[in-house]
Amino acid sequence: MSNKFRLAALAGASALFLSLLTGCSSSNEQAQEVTELTVYSGRSEEFIAPFFAQWESESGIKLNVRYGDSAELAAQILEEGSNSPADLFLSQDAGSLGAVAEAGLFTELGADVASEIPAKFVAANRNWVGVTGRARVFAYSPERLKVLPKSVTDLTSSVYKNQLGIAPTNASFQAFLTALINANGKEFAKSWLEGLQANGVKIYPKNSAIVEAIDRGEISIGLVNHYYVWEVSEALGREVKVNVEFFEPGDLGNLINVSGAGVMASSKKYAATQDLINYLTSVAVQQKFVTETHEYSLLEGAKAPADMPALAQIGAPTVDLNSLKDIKATQDLLIEVGLL
Amino acid sequence: MPTTIAESARTTLTKGARNQRVIRGVLNGAVTIVAALALIPIVYLLVRSSEKSVNEIAQLLVRPKTLEVLLTTSALVFGVVFITVSLGVALACGLHFVRLPMRRILIIPAVLPLAIPSYVFTYTWIALIPEFSGFLAGVFILSVTTLPYVILATLAGLRTVDGAQIEVARSLGLSIPQTFRRVVFPQVKGHISAGALLAALYTISDFGAVSLLNVETLTVTIQNMYRASYDRSAAAVISLVLIAFSTLVVLADEKVKQKSPDEGMVKLYSTKNSLINKAWLRVAVIAVLAVFSLVAVVIPFFVLISRFMSNRVAIQWGELASTSISTILVAAFGALIALVLSAPLGIVLSGAKTPTGRYAQRIITIGHGLPGVVIGLALVSIGSKLGALYQTTFLLAFAYALLFLAKAVASMSSSLSRVPTNVKDVAATLGMNQWQVIKKVVTPIAAPGIGLGTILVFLTAMKELPATLMLRPTGFDTLATQIWSAAAINRFNEAAPYALILVLVAAMPTFLISRPDKSDRTFIQENARSQK
Repeated sequence: MSNKFRLAALAGASALFLSLLTGCSSSNEQAQEVTELTVYSGRSEEFIAPFFAQWESESGIKLNVRYGDSAELAAQILEEGSNSPADLFLSQDAGSLGAVAEAGLFTELGADVASEIPAKFVAANRNWVGVTGRARVFAYSPERLKVLPKSVTDLTSSVYKNQLGIAPTNASFQAFLTALINANGKEFAKSWLEGLQANGVKIYPKNSAIVEAIDRGEISIGLVNHYYVWEVSEALGREVKVNVEFFEPGDLGNLINVSGAGVMASSKKYAATQDLINYLTSVAVQQKFVTETHEYSLLEGAKAPADMPALAQIGAPTVDLNSLKDIKATQDLLIEVGLL
Repeated sequence: MPTTIAESARTTLTKGARNQRVIRGVLNGAVTIVAALALIPIVYLLVRSSEKSVNEIAQLLVRPKTLEVLLTTSALVFGVVFITVSLGVALACGLHFVRLPMRRILIIPAVLPLAIPSYVFTYTWIALIPEFSGFLAGVFILSVTTLPYVILATLAGLRTVDGAQIEVARSLGLSIPQTFRRVVFPQVKGHISAGALLAALYTISDFGAVSLLNVETLTVTIQNMYRASYDRSAAAVISLVLIAFSTLVVLADEKVKQKSPDEGMVKLYSTKNSLINKAWLRVAVIAVLAVFSLVAVVIPFFVLISRFMSNRVAIQWGELASTSISTILVAAFGALIALVLSAPLGIVLSGAKTPTGRYAQRIITIGHGLPGVVIGLALVSIGSKLGALYQTTFLLAFAYALLFLAKAVASMSSSLSRVPTNVKDVAATLGMNQWQVIKKVVTPIAAPGIGLGTILVFLTAMKELPATLMLRPTGFDTLATQIWSAAAINRFNEAAPYALILVLVAAMPTFLISRPDKSDRTFIQENARSQK
């Protein structure tokens, strides 16, 4: 290679890079009229992008969406503090929202924002609102599991020895465990976890891995969110041999958790973010979530996802979602028993 | 003229000495700046850790879990280093000493695994063998993933061994194994150790493979603490444990290198060794390479493609092309920054041993064992205060350079130390100034090795995920983020095209790496010409 060629290549590369750089930095410019919003989305692009696209065309405002893992985006927002470029944080779970709210980085939402969403799915200080609902269930193999558990506390029984899978790093699992600690005390939760460990519980990195493990016969039952069987079937392009069932009415294993959104206190585009939240919680869009992503609509009397009972019929325990924001104790417990 | 020859020589010398001092000062200054940049994540961890009380820190450190995880990590590192060194050195020797058909092509499959993200690789093996899990599976996956580091480093070392020495040893009656042990190994063990160090640090910092296989290493614990508890200070405390562990690994490597023969003995150019021409060896080398490529490249692709075929979706060619281009550009820019940042330290390290050089190298190498999420958050913490610079491709490329600086520094210093000091001195006495020496003497000898280091940074940057997710411009995608977003919802069928492109793109520079023989020869020819 001649030196001239190398130089030319280098110059070309730098020119290309510069154009890339300038192309990307335009989003940081202040505009008089709001033309763009920056959203940090813990929800997968595949499922949420069509909703964003529709709002963009309706509002004429461009969305710059940063996709990531909800917990990692929350950690990123905590590091960014008031310098965060985000206007809105859309999270897969209430825990990540709680962590950001705790740090005082969300602004309080007015009563006219998402006014149709029942108060039990909204933060007490209105720092964030629920957008969709997801129920905790147990997934199981109808072929191999003959005795269905009535309560999560049954899972320490020898019937389920080496048959159960959980995902302790998963935010929904931790939310459930927090509810268990709040309701029955730390000692109870600890002995339950140790009972699972003694019973040969298998650890998975995420919910979908549990469903796949049941499908291929590695385990027979697992604690997951309700929509994972559908999601895994979609991904594999075939129906998995896994069913979903609820525990007895009122059992903490049937906890309803939410995905939700909060507006950054550092954002100067409150009106536009409020409009986006109102769009996501509108009747039409809520119904679209039910059919497109198999989640629950949070609106009163809304239709349930296919093959699922209505939200009111689940037999969900009465748990204040605000009380689940303190997952620190849950974390410490998981660390203490060695599941984290 | 009153000035004597002696006087003019003295003035030239003092002038030269002053110049030398200025250059050394500038170099040390530059090295200090680079080391300070590399310290960013470590300082960040110290700040975060200090948010915990001494009591809390002590509790985190002494809990049985920490010890257990530390033991798992050490065992994993030990297993991976043992396998990669035995297999990697054997393969490298085979590729170097045995007469093989199409040698340049043969090395490509040995290097390609560098381009496959470990979580994709692991996933494909789980899809194939559902029970694939646990410690041994972890050793297997990480050994396959990091084997290229040892092969490449050993090959680089073998090229510096004088073929004439081997012939003398053989004519004195040493067998091939004896020749290897007594002549070759002592000269290349520093290189082998450098490769093993990269493999060890990769193993320490990997998250994708171990988390999928249920092997809990320090990195998994750290990541879990961030992901699930937002407890940044507890994660920081465990990260410091990880740093302590990486320090031990780095010191072990230094120990091996200390016992290596004086680098000053390295020859200007080595006589080509005559190749061993034995059929069974040829078959053995090709067979091992074939098995390795089957395990590391063919099977993962077979699984990805079959998953793609079972649930086919339309490939978005435009997006695929634009993502490939932006991945290549930002990774190449990162590699370029790494090259620039590694230069001063490489120059310092190739000369006489100085404390500045030694400490800077330690800081950079130790930081290499940190999980991407830690470095990502450290850079978010600082980057978000930089206003318009935050979440630009520049900052992302800079992050890549910091993340993989150790790779660039290692190749830079080992390549530069191949340039014998006396040759530089001779060039200087012949009237060349510093820049001419660098251009005409140093660069031709060191360029292939430096190029290799730059390409390694490029390849690793292309598949980097955690820091990319945090630091990329909003809406900017790389091949790795596309694979991630499909895999996050279990759609490996949709990830397949991106994974394929990643490996195809990686194959190109790999081909360049595989041809350093050529540049060696060009150098020898050029030298022969200039001697006439």
